[in-house]
Amino acid sequence: MKVMKNQTKWIISVIFGVVGFMIAIQFQTANSEPELRDTRDQWEIRQELQKQQKIQQELLQKISKTDRTLEDYKETSDVKKKKTLQNTIEQLEKKAGLTDLAGSGIKITLEPIFQELEDSAAVYPALSPELLARLINELNTYGAEGIAIENERLISLSPIRNVNGQVYVNNRPLKSLPVEIYVIAHNPKKLLDYVQASPTRDFFAMESIGLTAELSRSITLPKYDDPLNLEEIRVHTSQETGEA
Amino acid sequence: MWLPVIFLIVGVTIGLLTDFRIPDEYANYLSIAVLAAFDTLFGGIRAQLEKKFDDVVFLTGFFSNVILAAFLAFLGVQLGIDLYLAAVFAFGVRIFQNIAIIRRYLLDEKIISRKQKKISQK
Repeated sequence: MKVMKNQTKWIISVIFGVVGFMIAIQFQTANSEPELRDTRDQWEIRQELQKQQKIQQELLQKISKTDRTLEDYKETSDVKKKKTLQNTIEQLEKKAGLTDLAGSGIKITLEPIFQELEDSAAVYPALSPELLARLINELNTYGAEGIAIENERLISLSPIRNVNGQVYVNNRPLKSLPVEIYVIAHNPKKLLDYVQASPTRDFFAMESIGLTAELSRSITLPKYDDPLNLEEIRVHTSQETGEA
Repeated sequence: MWLPVIFLIVGVTIGLLTDFRIPDEYANYLSIAVLAAFDTLFGGIRAQLEKKFDDVVFLTGFFSNVILAAFLAFLGVQLGIDLYLAAVFAFGVRIFQNIAIIRRYLLDEKIISRKQKKISQK
């Protein structure tokens, strides 16, 4: 290297510097994976903790209730066994919607909105099954315990279908608007608030259907009266996960 | 002799200190450019050892290699062919060859000097 001219030396040095710079940037770019950080503050973590504790409590309650039923079964007296069995059947029937259900809840009325149209005649708005199913799903999410559309009690097997342009619920046609939906809930006020603020209202409004909800102190839902079609249902053998 | 090393260290330091990052889309180009730069550097060292070093060849080689490699990568992206793999392959092979030649030169020099010492001692 001693034979090198001074100028050459400097040029090479500068190029070395450029190469070093490039390497450093390449290194940084290759190692710049966005790190996942827990950005929650103390308050949010506390809330999360509270939520989990509440879930835990609910689960424990369920476990103790089931344990009690199990113990009752184990009791020796036949009378008591029978009584427990009857209780269980009643509970399950109530859960499945096979009994009348009374309680406080909300009443949702779907009615047509008529708009003043200048050139075309007003079209009578029709309910679509997708929209209705969406509303029902939402009500279930918000904690509805029982739902009935007009006189049709909805259970987990209830179909909402479009048959020849008409909406069928539980395989029976639904009358045209206005339609009333009765919902029983543990906390009707909260459910009402949810429905009032739900974007589904807007979707109904797009179809020219108005959605009004009001609290109702005493609602009686009819029971589901048709035979349960369980032919296609198989016992699920794999381990269950999550909440029942 | 030490000046390039110092400059290399300075370059790396500046690069690390600036906290400058290339967006993901262009990371390919930079990586291939770095490879080309490595290739040129080793080529230069080899030429120096072979006493064939020419600064004009070195300079033009550096820039044309870097630009060509980046262009090849760009063309590959446009055509949907991983053309940059060709550049990676070519540069990789050449770097290995150059390093092998450099190593042999250095070894030869050492062995020769040792032998000369032995001869002179006798």
